[in-house]
Amino acid sequence: MSNALTFNEDQRDCLQEICNVAMGQAGDSLARLLNVFINLSVPYIRLIKAEEVHQELRSLINAPQVSAVRQAFYSPQGNQGLCGESIVIFSDASFQELAHLMAFEGRELDARAEQELLLDISNVLNGACLNGIAQQLEEQLGYSAPSLIGQHIPVEQILDKEKLTWEHALSIKIGYTLENHAFQCDMLMLMPGAAISHLMSVLDQFLEDF
Amino acid sequence: MAAPAALSLLDRVIDRVDTGILIVDPEMRIQLWNQFMVTHSQRSAEEVLGKNLFDCFPELPQRWFERKLNGVLILKNQAFTSWQQRPFLFRFSHNRQVTGGVEHMYQDCTLTPIFDDAGEVAYVCISIKDVTEVGIYETRLKQALAQLEVASHTDGLTQLFNRSHWEERFRQEVARVQRYGGKVTLLMFDLDHFKKINDTWGHQAGDEVLRCVSSRLRRALRNVDVAGRYGGEEFCVFLPSTELAGGEYVAERIRKTMARTPVEHEGRSISISVSLGITEFRDPGQSHEQLIKEADAALYFAKENGRNRFACFQQLPR
Repeated sequence: MSNALTFNEDQRDCLQEICNVAMGQAGDSLARLLNVFINLSVPYIRLIKAEEVHQELRSLINAPQVSAVRQAFYSPQGNQGLCGESIVIFSDASFQELAHLMAFEGRELDARAEQELLLDISNVLNGACLNGIAQQLEEQLGYSAPSLIGQHIPVEQILDKEKLTWEHALSIKIGYTLENHAFQCDMLMLMPGAAISHLMSVLDQFLEDF
Repeated sequence: MAAPAALSLLDRVIDRVDTGILIVDPEMRIQLWNQFMVTHSQRSAEEVLGKNLFDCFPELPQRWFERKLNGVLILKNQAFTSWQQRPFLFRFSHNRQVTGGVEHMYQDCTLTPIFDDAGEVAYVCISIKDVTEVGIYETRLKQALAQLEVASHTDGLTQLFNRSHWEERFRQEVARVQRYGGKVTLLMFDLDHFKKINDTWGHQAGDEVLRCVSSRLRRALRNVDVAGRYGGEEFCVFLPSTELAGGEYVAERIRKTMARTPVEHEGRSISISVSLGITEFRDPGQSHEQLIKEADAALYFAKENGRNRFACFQQLPR
């Protein structure tokens, strides 16, 4: 249907810089929220076609089992603005670390509390990163409630059940370091072609103003 | 005059929507309390406005809720709660008290920051959606799926496991002893002269015999033994952590309990007996299919040698 979208060099550099700044802000907010020193790595950004998503996921995540949460984001301009769905993927091992650090009130994590923690962390990460990006681009974003795609499932199952109607996905890989614990989770932002085109024009505008 | 009219329109809308809306300031003092909240909490706006949320509702999960609110205040970001993880925030009753089968209103909540002109979070708006209906339907769906799962494992006539499920369980058990060691003994048995029962007394009598055999079998087994209907009149049982000697003991008990009492059907007494074949797991190379073949061979031998008896594969003449 649509032509393959690709960022030009300027757009890519600009988006990378915006994401770096957003990550810095997100790390700062998360540290205040969780009361632990948190260091977010420089995000690794790639624009991929929807049909490459599985391959991309497999190459990104080196874990037999993962848990995944999705959340929609949208702009007041509807589907002409920045919009799409974000998927946050945790490898099960890294989730346990985070659960341990964030263990609410020292109580045991039962299945429901574990799910709630997954949803909360995803919401916080999505909000921190996306708001950071949107703010710099002078855009506004709203969010739907996050929902679980699955827990302890093979990577391939994350999107098998989802009918892919997005043409492109912006894949943003973020690594975290929490004090002595190092782990990673991945954010995948799936956007329809129109939203990516919008993002490109906003980046162009941003570059012009710069 | 235009401004107050517009305001009161907004107020009226807020009071008419089918969603709970309350607003708190960063000190948790209630600033807005809509009609939905009044109706369900039975606390008027005058009673709660300006007061601390947790003083008004000490039953709220304070620490958990503050953690959520902190996220909103610090990250300036929305936060959400879902009934699936936490059924409700406020303990409200719901409109399906008769037909619902649930005690409280299931709630999905959204916590949204409201900014002042300087871009700081001045208030947090909490909206509460009644999702009791969704919760009830999803709970029913889960029950239905659980029932379907049982049905897909069960033989309709005898209520024993059906062949495919029993075989899967046996395969897992054999895989377990192959890996971790241990014992498992397999019994297969067959009703003697079942065709004659069907031909003489009819298929309904035959069905009654099969049902009766199944219930006698169930009574003869321990909780851990796993029984299934393997085919028409053939049954299968595996005995976890049991040696051949234990298997022989169980086989003899089954043989006796079947032969001792005739089956009663429409005033007739139908005498029955069974022939059994036994084998035990011996070396890690054995597959579950092989064990089934061995038990079947022993069963065939028992039939050939007069029926109403059992035979062990390990003792068959070579």
